[in-house]
Amino acid sequence: MIEIEHLSKRYGDNIVVDDVSFTIGEGEIAVVVGTSGAGKSTLLRMINRLVAPSAGRVLIDGQDTTTIPEDELRHRIGYVIQGYGLFPHRTVAENIATVPRLLGWDKKRIATRVEELLDLFQLDPGEFARKFPHQLSGGQQQRVGVARALAAKPALLLMDEPFGSLDPVIRGKAQDDLLAIQRRLGTTIVLVTHDMNEAFHLGDRIAVMDQARLLQYAKPADLLTHPAEAFVEQLVGTAERPFRLLSLMTVQDAMEPGHADGEPITVSATLRDALAQLIWRGRPVLPVADASGAPIGRISVDGILKHGRPLA
Amino acid sequence: MPTLRPTLHLDRLGSVIAGLIALALFASPFVTYRANRIVSGEGRLLVDALPPAGALVTIAVVLGVALCAALARKPLVRLAAASLGLCVIFPAVGFSAGFVTPAGNTFARVSPAIGFWLLALAFALLATDALTRLRLGPWGRLAALSIAAGALALLLLSGAWNDLSLMKEYANRAESFWREARQHLWLALGSMGAACLVGLPLGLASHRVPALRNAILQGLGIVQTIPSIALFGILIAPLGYLAANVPLAAALGIRGIGAAPAFIALFLYSLLPVVANTMAGLSQVPADVIEAARGMGLSPRQRLAQIELPLAFPVILAGIRIVLVQNLGLATIAALIGGGGFGTFVFQGIGQTAIDLVLLGAIPTVALSFAAAIILDAIIDLTRRGAA
Repeated sequence: MIEIEHLSKRYGDNIVVDDVSFTIGEGEIAVVVGTSGAGKSTLLRMINRLVAPSAGRVLIDGQDTTTIPEDELRHRIGYVIQGYGLFPHRTVAENIATVPRLLGWDKKRIATRVEELLDLFQLDPGEFARKFPHQLSGGQQQRVGVARALAAKPALLLMDEPFGSLDPVIRGKAQDDLLAIQRRLGTTIVLVTHDMNEAFHLGDRIAVMDQARLLQYAKPADLLTHPAEAFVEQLVGTAERPFRLLSLMTVQDAMEPGHADGEPITVSATLRDALAQLIWRGRPVLPVADASGAPIGRISVDGILKHGRPLA
Repeated sequence: MPTLRPTLHLDRLGSVIAGLIALALFASPFVTYRANRIVSGEGRLLVDALPPAGALVTIAVVLGVALCAALARKPLVRLAAASLGLCVIFPAVGFSAGFVTPAGNTFARVSPAIGFWLLALAFALLATDALTRLRLGPWGRLAALSIAAGALALLLLSGAWNDLSLMKEYANRAESFWREARQHLWLALGSMGAACLVGLPLGLASHRVPALRNAILQGLGIVQTIPSIALFGILIAPLGYLAANVPLAAALGIRGIGAAPAFIALFLYSLLPVVANTMAGLSQVPADVIEAARGMGLSPRQRLAQIELPLAFPVILAGIRIVLVQNLGLATIAALIGGGGFGTFVFQGIGQTAIDLVLLGAIPTVALSFAAAIILDAIIDLTRRGAA
């Protein structure tokens, strides 16, 4: 658990982060969003003490981070930045081995770990281990950057615009991959982005920042239905709200008993995808099937639409 | 239907080289004959400089190379032709000396003349061009250099050049030649080593502390603008004072003139390239790489040793290359103030109007700079690990 308590950063008279407090639960993804210059990156960099706070403190599992030597703290926290910062003179394997080597792991353990991570990120060790960063595509570099951050099995991963330099198609895939890996490893993640779609796609909770202040820290659905300030409402986009809300729920949430004809929709699809199917096929209802394909109910346009607004 | 006809392809550089060869062969003397080492001499064309059969073979080979230069397209063929040419004219000029010198005459001197030098230049150009077209990797270039050095050593050790004036000058001074060679290398390499020891930390400091940067660079820039003779003059007073008042300095051989001021002058000239390149190398390390290294918990020392210096190393080496090539040439000047080195022969030769003595000092200097440039370029390429 990460507790951020009254964290502030001032440069002279300029306040970059103003009294921010929030808590990130074990294994959760907290996404910090806001316009550029809102203080997101500074907030993130105070967690691993790349920036020294002017006031406030950060607790990791109850331990004040200032009681841990700076470098030791950073060995325990994964860190991924937008350009990845891969070391150009080191191979992929050497890059990934950076923190384990600093920690003095033995060679065999490092080699095993590197191979494990390359497999996890769908990079064939035989092909990629000996390559240099400049020989990789943008998406591959991004994966190596995240693999490197996860090498020493950190319980916490900090990511600053980690998908910012990927094109939209690869970005979506990279986000899904990150989610899958996070669910598997249970790593706590704090991710900074200015992309609202990314925030809603990845975040268990979203922290909205503007002009150095934390405006709201809530679950995505709460952010949509109960925005704390006009700025939050504006940032999530009023026209997008119903669709974002639907994309946060699955067919399970709006399923009705009964039968319908046609190709079934899987129960794990989001309501947004289900609605898209209904519109495109010109049907008011479609059957719902479970993972094995067995019909278990039906879903209707009306039923979905009810979920696209705050429940009265 | 277009017919594929083999067309005669005329290589542009090759044609110039062929022209150069023709000029050397038919319009310039191959060797110069002089009755003794300081009178002016008379030129001999290649046909008159060798026994008829030898001259014929040599001319045939040289013309063949010219033809290859103009027409051959494969770099390997061109390289082979150039090498063959060099392998023929270098021994030929040696044999020519024996042929032209009247039997029993020990005063007469024979030296390579403009025709020989033009041929050597033409073949060297052809070889360099072919090597460039071959795009040799660093190891290939080092191998080519070793082969050339080996061939040269073989030529000199075989005694084929012993009748040439240059080698007669050498034979008279063999002992001092090697002494001055050691002195030359010591001046050039020692001052370079000292400049690295001082310049690397200075470059690091000026990279880290922006306030220092301008002061250091401007100070060193001013040093660069001082002509070497003036710098020697400036150094005479303080070093003379040091020698007179500090017994240790005098015991180390430090005096107002001699090797000490030469060493210090070379050292001062070397500082700017080392400092400037260290700084440039460090500042071209991408910011996100430094940020990532910090974020992963590399200590400042680990960042410097594992990330910044390795990434800056090729640029620093480029500075060291400048210094080495510059120092090998500049060390010649040391002889002006009694500092020794190959310059000794150059200035003696100028004093005696003995051009071959000048060459005895100048040729090794040029050869050393040339070899140093090739070796360091190869090392720089080898250290660019992972570069795009």
